[in-house]
Amino acid sequence: MGVVCVYPYPVPEEKSGQQVVDTIQKQLELLGAHKSGNFFVDCESYQSNLQTATQQRLLHLFHNSEQPATCFSVLDNGMCLVSDLLFEVLILKLAEKKSGKDSYYQQRKGFKVESKGQRYELGDFIIKVGSVIVASNFRGILIEVEYSPCVIPSECWNLMKEFIQSFMGNIAENPPAHIKSKMDTVYTPEDTIQQYLEHFNNFRKATSASVPATPNR
Amino acid sequence: MADNQTDALIEAINFTQMLRASVTKVFDNLADGFQDSQGNEKALLNEFQKSLLAVNNDFNELERVGNGLYPLSVNSPNSVHLSIDPATDKTPLYSQLIQSYKWSNKAHELAGYVIGPLDQNAKLKRSMLIGSTLQAKKLRRVPPSGHAATTVYVDNIVTRLDQKMPDISMSITRPLGSSAILQVSLGKILKAVVALRGLIIEWVTVKGYQEDLYSEDGKVDLWSQSRYQVFRKVNDSATAATLHFYSPHNAELALQSFLHWFQSYKTLFSAPCSKCGKHYHQGSPPTWRDLRNTDPYHDVCKP
Repeated sequence: MGVVCVYPYPVPEEKSGQQVVDTIQKQLELLGAHKSGNFFVDCESYQSNLQTATQQRLLHLFHNSEQPATCFSVLDNGMCLVSDLLFEVLILKLAEKKSGKDSYYQQRKGFKVESKGQRYELGDFIIKVGSVIVASNFRGILIEVEYSPCVIPSECWNLMKEFIQSFMGNIAENPPAHIKSKMDTVYTPEDTIQQYLEHFNNFRKATSASVPATPNR
Repeated sequence: MADNQTDALIEAINFTQMLRASVTKVFDNLADGFQDSQGNEKALLNEFQKSLLAVNNDFNELERVGNGLYPLSVNSPNSVHLSIDPATDKTPLYSQLIQSYKWSNKAHELAGYVIGPLDQNAKLKRSMLIGSTLQAKKLRRVPPSGHAATTVYVDNIVTRLDQKMPDISMSITRPLGSSAILQVSLGKILKAVVALRGLIIEWVTVKGYQEDLYSEDGKVDLWSQSRYQVFRKVNDSATAATLHFYSPHNAELALQSFLHWFQSYKTLFSAPCSKCGKHYHQGSPPTWRDLRNTDPYHDVCKP
Protein backbone atom coordinates (compact mmCIF):
# COMPACT_ATOMS: atom_id res chain seq x y z
CA MET A 1 0.00 0.00 0.00
CA GLY A 2 1.53 3.23 -1.12
CA VAL A 3 0.44 6.80 -1.52
CA VAL A 4 -2.85 7.31 -3.33
CA CYS A 5 -4.19 10.45 -4.96
CA VAL A 6 -7.81 10.57 -6.13
CA TYR A 7 -8.88 13.23 -8.59
CA PRO A 8 -12.22 13.86 -10.28
CA TYR A 9 -11.91 14.04 -14.05
CA PRO A 10 -14.21 16.54 -15.74
CA VAL A 11 -16.62 15.20 -18.34
CA PRO A 12 -17.30 17.73 -21.09
CA GLU A 13 -20.97 18.18 -21.89
CA GLU A 14 -20.71 17.07 -25.48
CA LYS A 15 -19.13 13.75 -24.53
CA SER A 16 -20.51 10.77 -22.69
CA GLY A 17 -18.78 9.39 -19.65
CA GLN A 18 -17.85 6.20 -21.45
CA GLN A 19 -16.13 8.15 -24.23
CA VAL A 20 -13.98 10.04 -21.75
CA VAL A 21 -13.11 6.81 -19.90
CA ASP A 22 -12.11 5.22 -23.20
CA THR A 23 -9.86 8.16 -24.07
CA ILE A 24 -8.09 8.01 -20.72
CA GLN A 25 -7.65 4.26 -20.98
CA LYS A 26 -6.24 4.56 -24.46
CA GLN A 27 -3.83 7.21 -23.24
CA LEU A 28 -2.70 4.99 -20.37
CA GLU A 29 -2.12 2.09 -22.71
CA LEU A 30 -0.03 4.33 -24.92
CA LEU A 31 2.06 5.21 -21.89
CA GLY A 32 2.78 1.51 -21.46
CA ALA A 33 0.34 0.58 -18.72
CA HIS A 34 -1.23 -2.85 -18.79
CA LYS A 35 -4.62 -3.96 -17.53
CA SER A 36 -4.67 -5.84 -14.26
CA GLY A 37 -8.33 -6.51 -13.64
CA ASN A 38 -11.24 -4.50 -12.30
CA PHE A 39 -11.75 -2.56 -9.12
CA PHE A 40 -14.53 -1.02 -7.13
CA VAL A 41 -14.93 1.27 -4.15
CA ASP A 42 -18.42 1.52 -2.73
CA CYS A 43 -20.10 3.41 0.05
CA GLU A 44 -23.37 2.91 1.84
CA SER A 45 -24.67 5.37 4.39
CA TYR A 46 -26.57 4.74 7.58
CA GLN A 47 -28.33 7.24 9.77
CA SER A 48 -28.47 7.00 13.52
CA ASN A 49 -31.97 6.59 14.78
CA LEU A 50 -31.77 7.25 18.49
CA GLN A 51 -34.65 9.12 20.07
CA THR A 52 -32.48 10.60 22.78
CA ALA A 53 -29.91 12.05 20.47
CA THR A 54 -30.48 15.64 19.49
CA GLN A 55 -28.86 15.29 16.14
CA GLN A 56 -28.77 12.52 13.57
CA ARG A 57 -25.34 11.16 12.85
CA LEU A 58 -24.22 9.61 9.59
CA LEU A 59 -22.12 6.51 9.25
CA HIS A 60 -20.52 5.67 5.91
CA LEU A 61 -19.60 2.08 5.27
CA PHE A 62 -16.89 1.62 2.63
CA HIS A 63 -15.50 -1.34 0.75
CA ASN A 64 -12.40 -1.19 -1.34
CA SER A 65 -11.45 -4.02 -3.68
CA GLU A 66 -7.80 -3.32 -2.89
CA GLN A 67 -8.46 -4.46 0.71
CA PRO A 68 -11.09 -7.13 0.07
CA ALA A 69 -11.31 -8.47 3.63
CA THR A 70 -11.74 -5.10 5.28
CA CYS A 71 -14.55 -2.65 5.69
CA PHE A 72 -14.10 0.96 6.65
CA SER A 73 -16.65 2.87 8.65
CA VAL A 74 -16.39 6.62 8.65
CA LEU A 75 -18.42 8.93 10.85
CA ASP A 76 -19.40 12.33 9.57
CA ASN A 77 -16.86 13.95 11.87
CA GLY A 78 -14.11 12.08 10.03
CA MET A 79 -13.50 9.35 12.60
CA CYS A 80 -12.65 6.13 10.83
CA LEU A 81 -12.88 2.55 12.01
CA VAL A 82 -11.03 -0.10 10.07
CA SER A 83 -12.45 -3.52 10.72
CA ASP A 84 -12.99 -6.99 9.44
CA LEU A 85 -15.70 -7.56 6.89
CA LEU A 86 -17.88 -9.11 9.60
CA PHE A 87 -18.50 -5.66 11.01
CA GLU A 88 -20.96 -5.18 8.18
CA VAL A 89 -23.14 -7.95 9.58
CA LEU A 90 -23.20 -6.11 12.91
CA ILE A 91 -24.34 -2.93 11.23
CA LEU A 92 -27.05 -4.85 9.35
CA LYS A 93 -28.29 -6.21 12.70
CA LEU A 94 -28.33 -2.72 14.15
CA ALA A 95 -30.36 -1.57 11.17
CA GLU A 96 -33.08 -4.19 11.78
CA LYS A 97 -36.29 -3.46 13.60
CA LYS A 98 -36.68 -5.71 16.62
CA SER A 99 -39.80 -6.47 18.69
CA GLY A 100 -41.52 -3.24 17.83
CA LYS A 101 -38.50 -1.16 18.77
CA ASP A 102 -36.98 1.18 16.23
CA SER A 103 -33.60 0.16 14.87
CA TYR A 104 -30.45 1.95 16.01
CA TYR A 105 -29.42 2.69 12.48
CA GLN A 106 -31.37 3.21 9.32
CA GLN A 107 -30.01 2.80 5.82
CA ARG A 108 -30.43 5.87 3.66
CA LYS A 109 -32.13 4.86 0.47
CA GLY A 110 -30.74 6.00 -2.86
CA PHE A 111 -27.51 7.06 -1.21
CA LYS A 112 -25.27 4.25 -2.38
CA VAL A 113 -22.26 5.52 -4.29
CA GLU A 114 -19.89 3.35 -6.20
CA SER A 115 -16.82 3.95 -8.30
CA LYS A 116 -15.75 1.07 -10.47
CA GLY A 117 -13.78 0.40 -13.59
CA GLN A 118 -10.53 -0.84 -15.01
CA ARG A 119 -7.33 -1.19 -12.98
CA TYR A 120 -3.98 -0.54 -14.70
CA GLU A 121 -0.39 -1.06 -13.68
CA LEU A 122 2.66 0.79 -14.97
CA GLY A 123 5.87 -0.06 -13.19
CA ASP A 124 5.10 0.62 -9.56
CA PHE A 125 2.15 2.85 -10.35
CA ILE A 126 -1.42 1.60 -10.10
CA ILE A 127 -3.99 3.61 -11.98
CA LYS A 128 -7.71 3.12 -11.57
CA VAL A 129 -10.17 4.79 -13.88
CA GLY A 130 -13.53 4.67 -12.12
CA SER A 131 -16.99 5.68 -13.25
CA VAL A 132 -18.95 7.05 -10.31
CA ILE A 133 -22.47 5.72 -10.03
CA VAL A 134 -24.91 7.30 -7.58
CA ALA A 135 -28.17 5.36 -7.23
CA SER A 136 -27.44 3.54 -10.50
CA ASN A 137 -26.87 6.75 -12.46
CA PHE A 138 -23.53 7.72 -13.97
CA ARG A 139 -22.30 10.87 -12.28
CA GLY A 140 -18.68 11.40 -13.19
CA ILE A 141 -15.19 10.01 -13.31
CA LEU A 142 -12.73 9.53 -10.47
CA ILE A 143 -9.13 8.66 -11.24
CA GLU A 144 -7.06 7.07 -8.54
CA VAL A 145 -3.28 6.95 -8.89
CA GLU A 146 -1.25 4.94 -6.43
CA TYR A 147 2.52 4.88 -6.11
CA SER A 148 2.99 1.68 -4.19
CA PRO A 149 6.64 1.65 -2.98
CA CYS A 150 6.45 4.92 -1.06
CA VAL A 151 4.53 5.64 2.14
CA ILE A 152 5.33 9.30 2.76
CA PRO A 153 3.30 11.61 0.49
CA SER A 154 5.74 14.52 0.63
CA GLU A 155 8.57 12.27 -0.62
CA CYS A 156 6.88 11.11 -3.78
CA TRP A 157 4.45 13.94 -4.49
CA ASN A 158 6.62 15.53 -7.18
CA LEU A 159 7.12 12.19 -8.86
CA MET A 160 3.39 11.46 -8.78
CA LYS A 161 2.56 14.94 -9.99
CA GLU A 162 4.80 14.49 -13.01
CA PHE A 163 3.24 11.14 -13.77
CA ILE A 164 -0.37 12.26 -13.25
CA GLN A 165 0.15 15.34 -15.37
CA SER A 166 1.53 13.19 -18.17
CA PHE A 167 -1.94 11.82 -18.88
CA MET A 168 -4.38 14.07 -17.04
CA GLY A 169 -3.00 17.52 -17.66
CA ASN A 170 -3.16 20.23 -15.05
CA ILE A 171 -5.80 18.68 -12.83
CA ALA A 172 -3.13 17.53 -10.41
CA GLU A 173 -1.52 20.86 -9.69
CA ASN A 174 -1.89 20.39 -5.94
CA PRO A 175 -2.12 17.30 -3.77
CA PRO A 176 -5.64 16.32 -2.70
CA ALA A 177 -6.87 18.36 0.25
CA HIS A 178 -6.91 15.42 2.61
CA ILE A 179 -3.28 14.50 1.88
CA LYS A 180 -2.15 18.10 2.08
CA SER A 181 -2.81 18.12 5.81
CA LYS A 182 -0.62 15.04 6.43
CA MET A 183 2.19 15.19 3.90
CA ASP A 184 4.85 13.88 6.25
CA THR A 185 3.03 11.02 7.93
CA VAL A 186 2.82 7.42 6.85
CA TYR A 187 0.02 6.92 4.39
CA THR A 188 -2.64 4.35 5.30
CA PRO A 189 -5.55 2.79 3.37
CA GLU A 190 -7.81 4.86 5.61
CA ASP A 191 -6.58 8.01 3.89
CA THR A 192 -7.72 6.63 0.54
CA ILE A 193 -11.20 6.10 1.95
CA GLN A 194 -11.27 9.64 3.33
CA GLN A 195 -10.47 10.98 -0.12
CA TYR A 196 -13.20 8.90 -1.69
CA LEU A 197 -15.67 10.06 0.96
CA GLU A 198 -14.94 13.66 0.14
CA HIS A 199 -15.49 13.09 -3.59
CA PHE A 200 -18.56 10.92 -3.06
CA ASN A 201 -20.11 13.62 -0.88
CA ASN A 202 -19.47 16.16 -3.62
CA PHE A 203 -21.14 13.91 -6.19
CA ARG A 204 -24.12 13.38 -3.88
CA LYS A 205 -24.51 17.10 -3.35
CA ALA A 206 -24.36 17.63 -7.10
CA THR A 207 -26.99 14.92 -7.52
CA SER A 208 -29.39 16.35 -4.95
CA ALA A 209 -28.91 19.77 -6.48
CA SER A 210 -29.71 18.50 -9.95
CA VAL A 211 -32.66 16.29 -8.88
CA PRO A 212 -35.22 19.13 -8.67
CA ALA A 213 -34.07 20.26 -12.08
CA THR A 214 -34.98 17.00 -13.81
CA PRO A 215 -38.80 17.36 -13.82
CA ASN A 216 -38.52 20.70 -15.59
CA ARG A 217 -36.75 19.16 -18.55
CA MET B 1 79.90 -16.87 -40.96
CA ALA B 2 79.61 -13.18 -41.67
CA ASP B 3 83.14 -12.65 -40.45
CA ASN B 4 84.43 -15.33 -42.80
CA GLN B 5 82.60 -13.62 -45.53
CA THR B 6 84.07 -10.26 -44.66
CA ASP B 7 87.57 -11.72 -44.42
CA ALA B 8 87.18 -13.41 -47.75
CA LEU B 9 85.94 -10.19 -49.23
CA ILE B 10 88.85 -8.26 -47.85
CA GLU B 11 91.19 -10.95 -49.17
CA ALA B 12 89.52 -10.81 -52.53
CA ILE B 13 89.89 -7.06 -52.64
CA ASN B 14 93.55 -7.41 -51.73
CA PHE B 15 94.08 -9.92 -54.50
CA THR B 16 92.25 -7.71 -56.92
CA GLN B 17 94.56 -4.85 -55.99
CA MET B 18 97.59 -7.13 -56.36
CA LEU B 19 96.32 -8.34 -59.72
CA ARG B 20 95.82 -4.80 -60.86
CA ALA B 21 99.28 -3.89 -59.63
CA SER B 22 100.91 -6.76 -61.48
CA VAL B 23 98.90 -6.15 -64.63
CA THR B 24 99.80 -2.45 -64.47
CA LYS B 25 103.45 -3.42 -64.04
CA VAL B 26 103.30 -5.64 -67.14
CA PHE B 27 101.68 -2.92 -69.21
CA ASP B 28 104.01 -0.29 -67.76
CA ASN B 29 106.92 -2.38 -68.81
CA LEU B 30 105.40 -2.95 -72.24
CA ALA B 31 104.61 0.73 -72.64
CA ASP B 32 108.08 1.84 -71.59
CA GLY B 33 109.47 -0.53 -74.16
CA PHE B 34 112.41 -2.77 -73.65
CA GLN B 35 115.62 -1.10 -74.36
CA ASP B 36 118.23 -3.67 -74.64
CA SER B 37 121.42 -1.82 -74.21
CA GLN B 38 123.57 -4.73 -73.30
CA GLY B 39 121.92 -7.17 -75.70
CA ASN B 40 120.77 -9.24 -72.84
CA GLU B 41 117.50 -10.30 -74.47
CA LYS B 42 117.12 -13.40 -72.47
CA ALA B 43 117.12 -11.54 -69.19
CA LEU B 44 114.41 -9.20 -70.44
CA LEU B 45 112.26 -12.06 -71.61
CA ASN B 46 112.74 -13.77 -68.27
CA GLU B 47 111.66 -10.65 -66.47
CA PHE B 48 108.59 -10.34 -68.71
CA GLN B 49 107.68 -13.94 -68.18
CA LYS B 50 108.07 -13.47 -64.45
CA SER B 51 105.65 -10.58 -64.36
CA LEU B 52 103.16 -12.51 -66.52
CA LEU B 53 103.42 -15.42 -64.12
CA ALA B 54 102.76 -13.05 -61.23
CA VAL B 55 99.66 -11.85 -63.05
CA ASN B 56 98.63 -15.44 -63.60
CA ASN B 57 99.22 -16.30 -59.94
CA ASP B 58 97.28 -13.31 -58.71
CA PHE B 59 94.46 -14.15 -61.05
CA ASN B 60 94.32 -17.73 -59.82
CA GLU B 61 94.30 -16.60 -56.24
CA LEU B 62 91.50 -14.14 -56.91
CA GLU B 63 89.51 -16.77 -58.69
CA ARG B 64 89.95 -19.13 -55.75
CA VAL B 65 88.77 -16.56 -53.23
CA GLY B 66 86.00 -15.45 -55.55
CA ASN B 67 84.62 -18.98 -55.74
CA GLY B 68 84.45 -19.04 -51.95
CA LEU B 69 82.16 -15.99 -51.92
CA TYR B 70 78.36 -16.29 -52.08
CA PRO B 71 75.64 -13.73 -52.59
CA LEU B 72 75.25 -11.60 -49.44
CA SER B 73 71.51 -11.50 -49.09
CA VAL B 74 70.58 -15.13 -49.14
CA ASN B 75 67.67 -14.55 -46.82
CA SER B 76 66.13 -11.79 -48.88
CA PRO B 77 66.84 -12.60 -52.48
CA ASN B 78 64.45 -9.96 -53.71
CA SER B 79 66.47 -7.26 -52.05
CA VAL B 80 69.17 -7.92 -54.60
CA HIS B 81 66.99 -6.20 -57.13
CA LEU B 82 67.30 -3.07 -55.08
CA SER B 83 70.94 -2.95 -55.85
CA ILE B 84 70.26 -2.62 -59.56
CA ASP B 85 67.95 0.29 -59.00
CA PRO B 86 69.44 3.11 -61.03
CA ALA B 87 68.23 5.72 -58.53
CA THR B 88 70.47 4.40 -55.81
CA ASP B 89 71.73 7.80 -54.83
CA LYS B 90 68.23 9.06 -54.11
CA THR B 91 67.18 6.01 -52.14
CA PRO B 92 70.07 4.54 -50.24
CA LEU B 93 67.89 1.60 -49.38
CA TYR B 94 70.14 -1.19 -50.37
CA SER B 95 73.15 0.01 -48.48
CA GLN B 96 71.04 0.57 -45.40
CA LEU B 97 69.58 -2.88 -45.80
CA ILE B 98 73.00 -4.45 -45.91
CA GLN B 99 74.03 -2.40 -42.92
CA SER B 100 71.07 -3.50 -40.84
CA TYR B 101 71.52 -7.06 -41.95
CA LYS B 102 75.00 -6.95 -40.59
CA TRP B 103 73.77 -5.37 -37.38
CA SER B 104 71.13 -7.95 -36.78
CA ASN B 105 73.57 -10.74 -37.46
CA LYS B 106 75.93 -9.25 -34.95
CA ALA B 107 73.20 -8.80 -32.36
CA HIS B 108 72.12 -12.38 -32.83
CA GLU B 109 75.63 -13.57 -32.32
CA LEU B 110 76.11 -11.49 -29.14
CA ALA B 111 72.80 -12.71 -27.82
CA GLY B 112 74.08 -16.21 -28.30
CA TYR B 113 77.07 -15.42 -26.08
CA VAL B 114 74.94 -13.72 -23.43
CA ILE B 115 72.37 -16.47 -23.04
CA GLY B 116 74.92 -18.76 -21.45
CA PRO B 117 75.75 -16.62 -18.38
CA LEU B 118 72.13 -15.42 -18.02
CA ASP B 119 70.80 -18.95 -18.01
CA GLN B 120 72.78 -19.67 -14.89
CA ASN B 121 71.25 -16.70 -13.09
CA ALA B 122 67.70 -17.56 -14.05
CA LYS B 123 67.62 -20.41 -11.59
CA LEU B 124 68.35 -18.09 -8.67
CA LYS B 125 65.52 -17.04 -6.36
CA ARG B 126 64.36 -13.49 -6.52
CA SER B 127 64.90 -12.85 -2.85
CA MET B 128 68.60 -13.55 -3.43
CA LEU B 129 68.74 -10.69 -5.87
CA ILE B 130 67.20 -8.31 -3.35
CA GLY B 131 69.76 -9.30 -0.80
CA SER B 132 68.48 -10.63 2.49
CA THR B 133 65.37 -12.63 3.28
CA LEU B 134 64.38 -10.14 5.96
CA GLN B 135 64.02 -7.38 3.43
CA ALA B 136 62.04 -9.66 1.22
CA LYS B 137 59.51 -10.33 3.97
CA LYS B 138 58.95 -6.62 4.42
CA LEU B 139 58.30 -6.17 0.74
CA ARG B 140 55.82 -9.01 0.47
CA ARG B 141 52.18 -7.86 0.53
CA VAL B 142 50.25 -8.30 3.70
CA PRO B 143 47.52 -10.88 3.04
CA PRO B 144 43.99 -9.37 3.14
CA SER B 145 42.38 -9.70 6.54
CA GLY B 146 38.99 -8.11 5.92
CA HIS B 147 37.20 -11.43 5.92
CA ALA B 148 38.76 -12.51 9.20
CA ALA B 149 37.66 -9.64 11.43
CA THR B 150 36.51 -10.75 14.86
CA THR B 151 32.89 -10.37 15.90
CA VAL B 152 33.72 -7.78 18.56
CA TYR B 153 35.61 -5.70 16.02
CA VAL B 154 32.73 -5.89 13.56
CA ASP B 155 30.26 -4.91 16.30
CA ASN B 156 32.37 -1.91 17.25
CA ILE B 157 32.70 -0.69 13.72
CA VAL B 158 29.02 -1.09 12.96
CA THR B 159 28.06 0.78 16.14
CA ARG B 160 30.43 3.57 15.24
CA LEU B 161 29.13 3.81 11.67
CA ASP B 162 25.58 3.77 13.01
CA GLN B 163 26.34 6.81 15.15
CA LYS B 164 28.20 8.51 12.35
CA MET B 165 25.37 8.27 9.83
CA PRO B 166 22.23 9.89 11.17
CA ASP B 167 19.96 8.77 8.35
CA ILE B 168 20.77 5.13 8.67
CA SER B 169 19.86 2.84 11.50
CA MET B 170 21.52 -0.53 11.69
CA SER B 171 21.18 -3.67 13.73
CA ILE B 172 23.28 -6.81 13.72
CA THR B 173 22.07 -10.37 13.85
CA ARG B 174 24.11 -13.54 13.51
CA PRO B 175 21.79 -16.26 12.32
CA LEU B 176 24.55 -18.06 10.45
CA GLY B 177 27.28 -18.35 13.04
CA SER B 178 29.97 -15.72 13.21
CA SER B 179 29.06 -13.90 10.01
CA ALA B 180 27.08 -10.78 10.72
CA ILE B 181 23.89 -9.80 8.96
CA LEU B 182 23.22 -6.09 9.00
CA GLN B 183 19.68 -4.85 8.83
CA VAL B 184 19.86 -1.34 7.52
CA SER B 185 16.88 0.95 7.38
CA LEU B 186 16.93 4.29 5.70
CA GLY B 187 14.25 6.56 7.12
CA LYS B 188 10.80 5.60 5.90
CA ILE B 189 12.07 4.93 2.41
CA LEU B 190 13.65 1.53 2.27
CA LYS B 191 15.33 -1.27 4.15
CA ALA B 192 18.21 -3.49 3.26
CA VAL B 193 19.86 -6.66 4.44
CA VAL B 194 23.64 -6.71 4.12
CA ALA B 195 25.41 -10.01 4.64
CA LEU B 196 28.99 -9.62 5.84
CA ARG B 197 31.88 -12.02 5.92
CA GLY B 198 34.16 -10.47 8.46
CA LEU B 199 33.84 -6.91 7.25
CA ILE B 200 33.52 -7.71 3.57
CA ILE B 201 30.11 -7.19 2.01
CA GLU B 202 28.95 -10.39 0.44
CA TRP B 203 25.31 -9.81 -0.37
CA VAL B 204 22.79 -7.00 -0.41
CA THR B 205 19.02 -7.21 -0.60
CA VAL B 206 16.99 -4.02 -0.81
CA LYS B 207 13.31 -3.87 0.03
CA GLY B 208 10.59 -1.34 0.60
CA TYR B 209 9.77 0.27 3.92
CA GLN B 210 6.61 -1.82 4.27
CA GLU B 211 8.07 -5.09 3.13
CA ASP B 212 9.11 -7.67 5.66
CA LEU B 213 12.76 -8.56 6.04
CA TYR B 214 11.84 -11.81 7.76
CA SER B 215 10.56 -14.85 5.97
CA GLU B 216 7.57 -16.81 7.25
CA ASP B 217 9.65 -19.02 9.51
CA GLY B 218 11.05 -16.00 11.32
CA LYS B 219 14.51 -16.02 9.73
CA VAL B 220 16.10 -13.06 8.03
CA ASP B 221 15.18 -13.30 4.38
CA LEU B 222 18.34 -12.78 2.37
CA TRP B 223 17.23 -14.05 -0.97
CA SER B 224 13.78 -12.97 -2.01
CA GLN B 225 13.39 -9.93 -4.24
CA SER B 226 11.34 -6.87 -3.53
CA ARG B 227 7.76 -6.69 -4.77
CA TYR B 228 8.42 -3.30 -6.28
CA GLN B 229 10.28 -2.53 -9.47
CA VAL B 230 11.98 0.51 -8.00
CA PHE B 231 13.60 -1.45 -5.16
CA ARG B 232 14.68 -4.21 -7.50
CA LYS B 233 16.50 -1.55 -9.52
CA VAL B 234 18.05 -0.12 -6.36
CA ASN B 235 19.09 -3.64 -5.43
CA ASP B 236 20.90 -4.04 -8.73
CA SER B 237 22.79 -0.78 -8.29
CA ALA B 238 23.64 -1.69 -4.70
CA THR B 239 25.07 -5.03 -5.76
CA ALA B 240 27.15 -3.26 -8.39
CA ALA B 241 28.28 -0.77 -5.74
CA THR B 242 29.52 -3.53 -3.43
CA LEU B 243 31.84 -4.59 -6.22
CA HIS B 244 32.89 -1.02 -6.84
CA PHE B 245 33.75 -0.42 -3.19
CA TYR B 246 35.25 -3.89 -2.66
CA SER B 247 38.63 -3.64 -1.00
CA PRO B 248 39.78 -6.62 1.09
CA HIS B 249 42.79 -4.74 2.46
CA ASN B 250 40.71 -1.93 3.86
CA ALA B 251 37.35 -3.52 4.46
CA GLU B 252 36.27 -0.97 7.03
CA LEU B 253 36.64 1.86 4.55
CA ALA B 254 34.84 -0.19 1.94
CA LEU B 255 31.88 -0.75 4.26
CA GLN B 256 31.85 2.88 5.25
CA SER B 257 31.94 4.13 1.66
CA PHE B 258 29.22 1.72 0.68
CA LEU B 259 26.96 2.87 3.51
CA HIS B 260 27.73 6.49 2.73
CA TRP B 261 26.71 5.91 -0.86
CA PHE B 262 23.67 3.93 0.22
CA GLN B 263 22.61 6.82 2.43
CA SER B 264 21.98 8.89 -0.70
CA TYR B 265 18.88 6.78 -1.35
CA LYS B 266 17.03 8.67 1.32
CA THR B 267 15.97 10.97 -1.51
CA LEU B 268 15.03 8.05 -3.77
CA PHE B 269 11.54 9.37 -4.45
CA SER B 270 12.09 13.07 -4.01
CA ALA B 271 15.31 13.89 -5.92
CA PRO B 272 15.04 14.79 -9.59
CA CYS B 273 17.46 13.32 -12.13
CA SER B 274 20.68 15.33 -12.42
CA LYS B 275 20.67 15.05 -16.18
CA CYS B 276 17.10 15.48 -17.38
CA GLY B 277 15.84 17.33 -14.30
CA LYS B 278 12.72 15.19 -14.09
CA HIS B 279 11.43 12.78 -11.50
CA TYR B 280 9.43 10.36 -13.56
CA HIS B 281 10.80 8.13 -16.31
CA GLN B 282 9.14 4.92 -17.47
CA GLY B 283 7.43 4.15 -14.21
CA SER B 284 10.40 4.90 -11.95
CA PRO B 285 12.10 7.74 -10.16
CA PRO B 286 15.88 8.17 -10.67
CA THR B 287 17.11 4.87 -9.20
CA TRP B 288 20.82 5.13 -9.94
CA ARG B 289 23.21 7.09 -7.76
CA ASP B 290 26.63 8.18 -8.93
CA LEU B 291 29.26 6.20 -7.05
CA ARG B 292 31.51 9.20 -6.45
CA ASN B 293 29.25 12.18 -5.83
CA THR B 294 25.94 10.30 -5.23
CA ASP B 295 24.06 12.38 -7.79
CA PRO B 296 20.74 10.81 -8.78
CA TYR B 297 20.21 9.66 -12.36
CA HIS B 298 17.65 7.65 -14.28
CA ASP B 299 18.85 4.37 -15.69
CA VAL B 300 18.92 5.85 -19.16
CA CYS B 301 20.48 9.16 -18.08
CA LYS B 302 23.63 7.70 -16.52
CA PRO B 303 26.75 9.69 -17.39
